[in-house]
Amino acid sequence: MTATHTPRRRFLSSIVAGMIALPLVLGACGGDDEGSSDGKVELSFFWWGGEARAELTEKALDLYTAKHPDVTFKKTWQANQGYFDKLATLTAGDDAPDIFQIDDNFLSEYATRNVTLDLTSYQESGKLDTTKFPEGLWKYGVVDGKLAGLAFGENTQGLVYNKSKLEAAKQPLPETGMSWEEHIAWAQKAGAAAKLPGTQDPSADYKAFWVWLRQQGKEMYNGAELGFTQADVQAWFELWKGARDGKATPTADVIHEGNATDITKQLVVTNKALTSWVWANQMPELQKNTTDELGLVAYPGDASKQWPRASMYFSVFRGTEHKDIAVDVINFLANDPEAGAILGTDRGLPSNLDIRASVAASTDNASMKQTIATIDELAKNYGPSPTVPPKGHSTVRSELIKAAEEAQYGRATPAQAAEQFFAASQAAVSR
Amino acid sequence: MSPVAVTQAPPSPQRPPAGPAATRRRARPARHKSDGLAGYIFLSPWLLGFAAITAIPMLMSLYLSFTNYDVLSDWSSTEWVGLDNYRQMMTEDPSFWHAVRVTITFALVATPLKLAAALGVALLLNRAFRAAGLFRGLFYLPSLLGGSVAVAIVWVSMFNRDGAFNSFLGWFGIEGKAWVNDPDYALGTLILLAVWQFGAPMVIFLAGLKQVPQELYEAASVDGAGPVRQFFNVTLPILSPVIFFNLVLETINGFQGFTSAFVLSGGTGGPVDSTLMYTLHLYNKGFTEYQMGYASAMAWVFLLSIGLVTVLIFRTGKFWVHYSDGDD
Repeated sequence: MTATHTPRRRFLSSIVAGMIALPLVLGACGGDDEGSSDGKVELSFFWWGGEARAELTEKALDLYTAKHPDVTFKKTWQANQGYFDKLATLTAGDDAPDIFQIDDNFLSEYATRNVTLDLTSYQESGKLDTTKFPEGLWKYGVVDGKLAGLAFGENTQGLVYNKSKLEAAKQPLPETGMSWEEHIAWAQKAGAAAKLPGTQDPSADYKAFWVWLRQQGKEMYNGAELGFTQADVQAWFELWKGARDGKATPTADVIHEGNATDITKQLVVTNKALTSWVWANQMPELQKNTTDELGLVAYPGDASKQWPRASMYFSVFRGTEHKDIAVDVINFLANDPEAGAILGTDRGLPSNLDIRASVAASTDNASMKQTIATIDELAKNYGPSPTVPPKGHSTVRSELIKAAEEAQYGRATPAQAAEQFFAASQAAVSR
Repeated sequence: MSPVAVTQAPPSPQRPPAGPAATRRRARPARHKSDGLAGYIFLSPWLLGFAAITAIPMLMSLYLSFTNYDVLSDWSSTEWVGLDNYRQMMTEDPSFWHAVRVTITFALVATPLKLAAALGVALLLNRAFRAAGLFRGLFYLPSLLGGSVAVAIVWVSMFNRDGAFNSFLGWFGIEGKAWVNDPDYALGTLILLAVWQFGAPMVIFLAGLKQVPQELYEAASVDGAGPVRQFFNVTLPILSPVIFFNLVLETINGFQGFTSAFVLSGGTGGPVDSTLMYTLHLYNKGFTEYQMGYASAMAWVFLLSIGLVTVLIFRTGKFWVHYSDGDD
């Protein structure tokens, strides 16, 4: 028997060795072997979005290739859901795309873990031109003193209302500058007249909470710490409990539907409320989902406390072999007039103000025009911007939804919900 | 590895001859050696797959469960944290215990109901009538669709406040609730969805029912037993191994529920965590909070718990499972 053991064992161990080696070998084959000797470079480029965005982005990248024939792109895109799972998995496999789209929910998660390339030196040398950007906008891409992403598209909080229904019910339209109490009182009255709840209850919505906090002289975050107290949260939850009790909002289950971020589920387009709390640049997209005419104003309170938020960024993977080219590509997408004309306002208002002006002048889409006008109007009064949300922000967001819904369904008092949210979000940011 | 143990067993005389291809290629005196080799070659697709997508990842996750691995950082900043993840799970994460409660509720309610529905329909279909095959197919259909995303989406729209189910209730003047958006009922709709997909255990029950010897029923009716008595004293005991098999499988399935909860809540486990299944919480920890070490630890606790539950079911089996003496 011993004679047969040895070769068998050897055979087995070679199988085991082979099994271990195989993924490594395959991995090596799939690695970054694009730096071939003839100067040709292929960059991988990854974004989320729909068909329309894909078409525009591909066209803009083809334009870059037309101008730089040595540079081609491996373009990959998919819907928002699952995008960040895939990006995380690719990153874990050290195979992150050379250039990828990211938003402020995740920028800090990636930047603090050194996945993104620090663009500061490129900005200083002028290879990445942000001179035409509003200052608050490009700064919204700075994490721990490093420029982690190039802001691509500006937006800000926007309250979208159903103009047709309000006019039919002979109700005044909401205006920028109403106080929160005035807004709720308006929603109560207009809702009763239009036989449709006046406003979505935004207590689960971090961006509404954030604006409200800034108007109270607080912040959502101070660096990597919470910028508010439990008492602030409680006051916020109580404000909206009052609104719910006064029938200014829909019932809890309908509010829950509207708490989803999906545009098509916003109550103003599903006809379950007269107003929805969104990002201003989503207005044209919302308009596509309803036959009623929509209008756009700022959130209640002092609108100068809103800020130019980058709707998304392009970041460069720190491990890319072609850092300079990758930076040149995002610079091209942001600052080249032809590329700007192709991309339009699909990712938000163009960051480059010259391009924004020419895009605004050439569009014939009414809701797009209104969006640009509203954002530009608000931009005149902005104070200083907050910093990008820290690591743990996505958990804070989901904890806010959970706690606010506990209060909305009446399963917790505002005080209990505030205590729960405060403890959970403190744990999330201090991790 | 278990294959080692298998090959070291002395070659038995009744061993089937090696495949003709193997003998032709290596006509060596040490025939059993080539047998083994051929065996492994034929097995290799499975072995490779098993190693690459099951064994190695599982061992990796066991290792990761003792680290603070966060998916995005370099390997160099991943640290060994010992049992910290496990401790944190037990003492610092209220959502963990909440998810455990939701999952146990789901499994404890859905599994018996599903088995009861499967057995009930199997009993009906076991009679000889026209179009029995058609009905068998129709009842099996929902489980073909399985845990698919599409079914879950349809379910959500059916049980919305303005969904089909409430319109149906409306005919009787009953005002329905917003079933999927109400934390009191959301888990209930998931349980209903799971129960509805009873086709797989039903088919197995049907096969079991066909094996029950007809003479036993004849003997029972001669002794004066009615249909109810026959069911409890003949059908159930003979069927008990099949019930046991279904119980084990469906319990494990129940614990692993994920897709429907994910779709219904948009991945959040909402409304208010009412559908936060264990697997969903695990997924969120790993992929939205990037605490992959913690998520791996959760996966191992999950594996061990399901293993424990299965062992318990096996233990109780000897009190109620009857194996007949092969008198078929």
